[in-house]
Amino acid sequence: MARKMLVDEEMNQTNQEEAHYDFDLFVIGAGSGGVRAARFSANYGAKVGICELPFHPISSEVIGGVGGTCVIRGCVPKKILVYGAAFGSELEDARNYGWELNEKLDFNWKKLLHKKTDEIIRLNGIYKRLLSNAGVKLFEGEGKIVGPNEVEVTQLDGTKLSYSAKHILIATGSRAHRPPIPGQELGITSDEALSLEDLPKHAVVLGGGYIAVEFASIWRGLGANVDLFFRKELPLRGFDDEMRAVVARNLERRGINLHPQTNLTELIKTDNGIKVTTDHGEELIADVVLFATGRLPNSKRLNLEAVGVELDNTGAVKVDEYSRTSIPSVWAVGDVTNRMNLTPVALMEGTCFAKTVFGKEPSKPDYSHVPCAVFSIPPLSVVGLSEEQAIEQANGDVLVFTSTFNPMKNTVSGRQEKTVMKLVVDAETDKVLGASMCGPDAPEIMQGIAVALQCGATKAQFDSTVGIHPSAAEEFVTMRSVSRRITCRGKPKTNL
Amino acid sequence: MATTSFTAPKLSSPTFQTLCRNFPLSLPIPKTLSSFSFHLSPFLSRFHLHHHHYHPPRFHPRRLFAVRAESENGAEPIRHYDFDLFTIGAGSGGVRASRFAANFGASVAVCELPFSTISSETTGGVGGTCVLRGCVPKKLMVYASKYSHEFDESNGFGWKYDTEPKHDWSTLMANKNAELQRLTGIYKNILNKAGVTLIEGRGKIVDPHTVDVDGKLYTARNILISVGGRPFIPDIPGREYAIDSDAALDLPSKPEKVAIVGGGYIALEFAGIFNGLTSEVHVFIRQKKVLRGFDEEIRDFVGEQMALRGIQFHTEESPQAIVKSADGSLSLKTNKGTIEGFSHIMLATGRRPNTKNLGLESVGVKINKNGAIEVDEYSRTTVPSIWAVGDVTDRINLTPVALMEGAALAKTLFQNEPTKPDYRAVPSAVFSQPPIGQVGLTEEQAIKEYGDIDVYTANFRPLKATLSGLPDRVFMKLIVCAKTNKVIGLHMCGEDSAEIAQGFAVAVKAGLTKADFDATVGIHPTSAEEFVTMRSPTRKIRQSSESQGNMGHEAKTAAGV
Repeated sequence: MARKMLVDEEMNQTNQEEAHYDFDLFVIGAGSGGVRAARFSANYGAKVGICELPFHPISSEVIGGVGGTCVIRGCVPKKILVYGAAFGSELEDARNYGWELNEKLDFNWKKLLHKKTDEIIRLNGIYKRLLSNAGVKLFEGEGKIVGPNEVEVTQLDGTKLSYSAKHILIATGSRAHRPPIPGQELGITSDEALSLEDLPKHAVVLGGGYIAVEFASIWRGLGANVDLFFRKELPLRGFDDEMRAVVARNLERRGINLHPQTNLTELIKTDNGIKVTTDHGEELIADVVLFATGRLPNSKRLNLEAVGVELDNTGAVKVDEYSRTSIPSVWAVGDVTNRMNLTPVALMEGTCFAKTVFGKEPSKPDYSHVPCAVFSIPPLSVVGLSEEQAIEQANGDVLVFTSTFNPMKNTVSGRQEKTVMKLVVDAETDKVLGASMCGPDAPEIMQGIAVALQCGATKAQFDSTVGIHPSAAEEFVTMRSVSRRITCRGKPKTNL
Repeated sequence: MATTSFTAPKLSSPTFQTLCRNFPLSLPIPKTLSSFSFHLSPFLSRFHLHHHHYHPPRFHPRRLFAVRAESENGAEPIRHYDFDLFTIGAGSGGVRASRFAANFGASVAVCELPFSTISSETTGGVGGTCVLRGCVPKKLMVYASKYSHEFDESNGFGWKYDTEPKHDWSTLMANKNAELQRLTGIYKNILNKAGVTLIEGRGKIVDPHTVDVDGKLYTARNILISVGGRPFIPDIPGREYAIDSDAALDLPSKPEKVAIVGGGYIALEFAGIFNGLTSEVHVFIRQKKVLRGFDEEIRDFVGEQMALRGIQFHTEESPQAIVKSADGSLSLKTNKGTIEGFSHIMLATGRRPNTKNLGLESVGVKINKNGAIEVDEYSRTTVPSIWAVGDVTDRINLTPVALMEGAALAKTLFQNEPTKPDYRAVPSAVFSQPPIGQVGLTEEQAIKEYGDIDVYTANFRPLKATLSGLPDRVFMKLIVCAKTNKVIGLHMCGEDSAEIAQGFAVAVKAGLTKADFDATVGIHPTSAEEFVTMRSPTRKIRQSSESQGNMGHEAKTAAGV
């Protein structure tokens, strides 16, 4: 409430004081959230400047590139490599369909890598054009906040530009984090993993999150030996436990060595490669060690503390529901705020920011029912609550519908891998609280389901939808019998 | 995929319990059936419990009959029947209705012809068209044929083949047929487990309560006709040289050069299959475009994409004759000329209901001019004790619709819950390459029905194609009612369309608005996310000048919000 009034008040001020600022908005960081906010603000009529570091596939304090993590070091190159890797098993499956292929198939990593880089360079160009078409002024260099309405951009040649802006938006994203273990400099992060000169023969991956399982799948699909180490019993903490077990089983079946509840303690360079030691005393030799141990907000070199922008203990910029920081003229969206670190969420935050500040329509991003996908092979996709979350939050009983089936393609290919789907339903209201799927095409399938959940669709509405036959997705509308009913009423709300 | 329901049939005992709890019931009389007296007769149920001659292997404490179609005037004495339901035809609709009826406590028999991959007057097989001669084998062939495109794609991702991948036809046929055998076995098992009596043979209706199967008579309180449809072959000279879709799914060797006559989904699916399995494919269509009845833009788009993959379309050409030459090759004569040298000519010129020789006319079951059985909204024919579901009624000829009709019928008859199948927003797919997924109205239908609509389209090169270098594109379309903001049509052509459309079908069926779509966060990077990120309409269609004025006003108001 107070926030809205503040915004309105400022709108009025804007009318009187507009002329005093070089820009209505200056955005630091041209990734998903920053570009979206900049473009939309410009479309609302704001005068917008944006700064970004020079382009490079591997990021550092001084290099980055328009497009940001998603386009240059995340979603896009990752998905390209997943496509490339998925052909490995696809081609195996072709044999039982009558295709005669050479025993050993040639794969040229350098070609894939080269084409991947070409594609992200192309996208980098498209993003730049998007900005210029929207009338946003792009500066190349490192941005810094020097006052509540003042930014400084250090250009490549060292010269510094200084601009005043009515609003400043921080959208600098995040970067991969390395664990503090001896020899950590021998390991790589996902940035380098997307640009390796050679395909690893034996890769060690540390981490149980989506980045870890995605890279494990990529390398395994392309023929590498992969050992995956993670702290918990199952990978993908935070996802539905049943689905985590399904992913673990699939990874293992496809030949990835899983090491649950295991950490790495030391890396040592040897003539044969990197010697990896675990806290269980095991030793392995690998040519690549990937740290997929989380990402940290990129907030260090922005001079935020000096101007009074508060950070939390992980370094994330603290913001209110409208993405405003502790300084009223400074805002932040995307991974740097560490809310929900997904491209489409950063886009939503950027859009809401532009609406709030320049569209006279205070808008809060809505974090309920945000779908997401893990591009492991096969992929996992979810929307809404996991079974555990549903039980935790339920007032009444929770109904769980699951379906485990052999996808039709496998009946001939002979691949032994089941697809698993799950709906979690509130017994009282019949609302579908959560949906998850692990199996081919899961992310594509889940998008439409997400629309239904966003609008509070009931199980009855799912049931009344006719299936598309034969598809995997039709299983979501043909789950007739409850797999289990969990009585939550009166149950103490504790988690394991 | 349906294979689950095969391997793990879910028997809905909770429903049965509900039924018991609610018993006795008073049945609301559906309007269309009100000329007959319906009510529950507990006496009758008990009577039947003692007398029906078939006991399912498991359960039931008590037989329940929700609906009784007899005259209650006392004119007819209570009659004993061999079965509560006798189903003719064990395809999707028949099996579903029979299983569900048995689960609801009815004694059920189903008859079906002996198994064969090619249907005839004397062959068929448990599983029906979908499992043996339709959806399933077709999809398996699509999977097989898609690989040639995937090989091309994989080149762009760094994969290399020292020798061009070759396809061995017989391996595919053997593996496909093994799967069909497995499935027909599973279907039989499902019937058996549900306590349904399976009778092999040709069923024919003798009177409103009697079915003759190869000379043996069975009486039933209700008879269900679910005999499906069969390919229709137009009467042209040389038609005996042509193959239909049954044969096309089970050819002994690869067709080198094939002509496909027809522009419907079956024609397009087979064009994709044969093209992918490296045949030379020519498609002959009567109209300018393929897929009559589909959204016009989709029709254009899929035709273009298929042509890019090497399929040759011959538009506005109707077949007139097929000629076999001395060397055994076939020529197709059309209104525009003759094309020679085909190894196979496939006629994909529609399907017709299988209503011949069922004894329908003699008992008074009315048939329309296409041979389809006329039914009311509850799938009841003109004879009160005879019902029909699936393709034989020629409503919407899709497996999931037959399943819906079968399930609704079982509820109507045996669960005291008169249920009409709901034909609104039935999604469907065409497994052409690229495939199509759709739900709701086409743009043309939407304009007719709603007048004022907003159309959102996207036509893009998917991420995979930017790497593969192939000319693949994706087309998506949302049709929104201008007045209510409801999404009334959704269409897509491109990779994964069929899978993508399903979830959106839930949303469209639930009557969700464009604003609801917009409020949904995308899944990145997918093709599907495009459906929730379509921000500005490609065009706004306004009917009358009067409503245009109104719309202008509304639009302004909306923009001001």
